[in-house]
Amino acid sequence: MEIKNYEIVTPGMLVSDSGNGGEGTYSEGSNVFSKFLGTVQNYNGRVSVSPMTSIYMPMEGDNVIGRIVEVSTKYWVVDIDAPYYTRLDSRDVNFRAELGELDKYLQLGDLIYARLFRIYANNSADISMRGSNYGKLDSNMISKINISRIPRLIGKEGAMINMIKEMTGCEILVGQNGVVWVNGQDDGKTAALAAVKFIDENHANQNLMESVRGLLENVRRKV
Amino acid sequence: MYEERFDKRGFDELRPMEAETGIIPNAKGSARFRIGNTEAIAAVYGPEEVKPKHFEKVDKGIIMCKYDMLPFSVPDRAKPGMDRRDMEISDVITNALNRAIILEEFPRSMITIRVYVTQADAGTRCASLTAASMACADAGLPMRDLVAAVAAGKIGDSICLDLTKEEEDFHEGGATDVPIAFLPSKNEIVLLQLDGKVTKEELKKIVEMGKVGANKIYELEKSVLKGRFLNESKS
Repeated sequence: MEIKNYEIVTPGMLVSDSGNGGEGTYSEGSNVFSKFLGTVQNYNGRVSVSPMTSIYMPMEGDNVIGRIVEVSTKYWVVDIDAPYYTRLDSRDVNFRAELGELDKYLQLGDLIYARLFRIYANNSADISMRGSNYGKLDSNMISKINISRIPRLIGKEGAMINMIKEMTGCEILVGQNGVVWVNGQDDGKTAALAAVKFIDENHANQNLMESVRGLLENVRRKV
Repeated sequence: MYEERFDKRGFDELRPMEAETGIIPNAKGSARFRIGNTEAIAAVYGPEEVKPKHFEKVDKGIIMCKYDMLPFSVPDRAKPGMDRRDMEISDVITNALNRAIILEEFPRSMITIRVYVTQADAGTRCASLTAASMACADAGLPMRDLVAAVAAGKIGDSICLDLTKEEEDFHEGGATDVPIAFLPSKNEIVLLQLDGKVTKEELKKIVEMGKVGANKIYELEKSVLKGRFLNESKS
């Protein structure tokens, strides 16, 4: 049985009968079935399914954007859009934090860019801000995109994201949990967020690059 | 005797169906399923932290399902909120979906499913289950298979598929209602209830007829779920 590359499958559909199932599949005997609503990839007979929409489950080493939801005496609690809140310990930050007055540094509702460095067996996780590329994010403008569409937002070797940055004059940061942060001029931010939303809705489009360019030019002329 | 159905359908014919996904922007996944005059809307949220905490399972996730009939869905106003019937149907939907969704991938978390019936004309639990399974697939949850559910039954002496309210209330000879839910590609039954009186042989025939109907619903589910992405790539 042969299944075409990039064919759309639904959960429970037979994708292979030679028992070589990759990610997004499960097997019963030698039959391999799809787990998700997604597209099929066939690498030399190894069949995997990548979902159309997927749910973020934390993985060690992910760079994520989160929001502080609680300030304790020794740690912050951070919402990273996963099933569980994570904890940022006062020792895992890239500045000297005095215990007991942690809200001097990061307050409720602040956005941070951090790395997931430990996942516990019960699904909860610890994040860390050690390293110079992590820290507090100044602007509060974020958008959310489904994580299966992040590759489309980045584009080939960053082509898409660089084009949006260039055309809007914004800084853009994409967390692996699907949170997109933008900073810059007001009109640029609005345009960038519109582009992100457009990509989320039209991710299956063939000439996405051209349509996003058209959209940004159009938005710019109006502002 | 019941020789011709009230709405002139064949005995093994389904009512006209339609479905659509992605109708509720705030939910992770959502779907609307309509069969004849019965319509259900389902929304899926999560996975998220389990509340209340003591429902939590260490090795797998749990499903919290709420089925509710909206006040305007039936000729007499339905009292808003959950009554005993709603709780029972929520439970049978949860049990059916427990088999369909691969919950081992979300330990210690909870998936919330809310199903609302906006119009009721018999077979609401089947329509709700179908809508809920489509919403789960739309949300990107890992699933063994989609669930296709349909009611079959016996009216008078004849075995029928997809009963309407009018037929359920048929008096001469009595009416039996058997809601059945399948995992069609696995050939598994995940819900089978019976309200009335049938013999063993008749029940077998009813289940066979339900299977044929469920396969038709399964084809519709598949084409609707795929169609959303096919259309997007064209526009």
